[in-house]
Amino acid sequence: MLSLREHERYRRQTMLFGDEGQERLKKAHIFVAGVGGLGSPVSIYLAVAGVGTLTVVDKDVVDLSNLNRQILHGQADIGKKKVASAEEKLTALNPDIRVNVIDTTIDETNAARLVGNADGIVDAMDNYPTRYLLNDIALEKKIPLFHGAIRGFYGQATTIIPGKTACLRCIFPCAPPKEVFPVIGATPGVIGTLQANEVIRYLLGTGDLLANRLLIWDGMSSRTEEIAVTGNPKCPACGSDRAEKIPEKKEHSLNGRKK
Amino acid sequence: MTAKIRFFARFRELLGTDILVEVRGKTSLLDQVKEIATKNTEGYDAIFDEKGAFREFVILMQNGRRIETAEAGTVMVADGDEIAVFPPVAGG
Repeated sequence: MLSLREHERYRRQTMLFGDEGQERLKKAHIFVAGVGGLGSPVSIYLAVAGVGTLTVVDKDVVDLSNLNRQILHGQADIGKKKVASAEEKLTALNPDIRVNVIDTTIDETNAARLVGNADGIVDAMDNYPTRYLLNDIALEKKIPLFHGAIRGFYGQATTIIPGKTACLRCIFPCAPPKEVFPVIGATPGVIGTLQANEVIRYLLGTGDLLANRLLIWDGMSSRTEEIAVTGNPKCPACGSDRAEKIPEKKEHSLNGRKK
Repeated sequence: MTAKIRFFARFRELLGTDILVEVRGKTSLLDQVKEIATKNTEGYDAIFDEKGAFREFVILMQNGRRIETAEAGTVMVADGDEIAVFPPVAGG
């Protein structure tokens, strides 16, 4: 049930999807991996929309050079843990939601546990190894992965629905090289907002998701384009030809549990 | 008899957005993209490695269909083709 305060808070959006839609958002739990350039707008828009539980993970400390794009953090947060700053801001924006914060590095030993019973994973990471890991967890748990990535004035986004769409490894079998990437804050603003919009519509079950569609944002000419993507049967993460890889994985997790 | 080569993101900054090319008989995707990229050293180096093969992360599409870059030397450019060359980005 929505409280009186929630009714008033969400009045302008329940005009779109009713109390029923709002209840759906309230019941949802979304895992946001990273609260940097992408994670800032993603978590802000999910919080103010009333997504009931947000779990936010990041290992970093706020640095002055983050502030051109990481709009969840400000001058006064320099030196603070990003998740502490995120918790403070998100709770201040909307005290009617629950914000769980975890100050850690996402790796193969903890990823599945950190994601827990979340209804979806937002990829707001800055590297492909962690993205591939989140992709594996999303496939394993059969929950969507909302992918976004940026560089300079350019960005990309797609929504991965396990069993229905290409997975992240089908689309990007090889990671681009690591670098200190240039960026203007408006770029993760555009892509992160798109990701939040995907999450909201996935939870509401409305509209057309970026499923099997890679959206490309060209901020130099203000154009968006799309590339149709398809699953790769030989994909090492989700393909039908990966039979020999599955037992290996299962053994791993069994061993982990025995310990 | 023309085909359109479309570059995205950083490739676009280095090599241009849409390049129209004359389709003259048998030119592979690899040779076609290479020919265009040769006009800008930085652009060429962004797409191809020292051996002249596509860098492994480059995404190549022919009329919306993914072409494995390792096979681009054996796939021919045809009249009316739209070839997309795209670098995934990694930042967050």
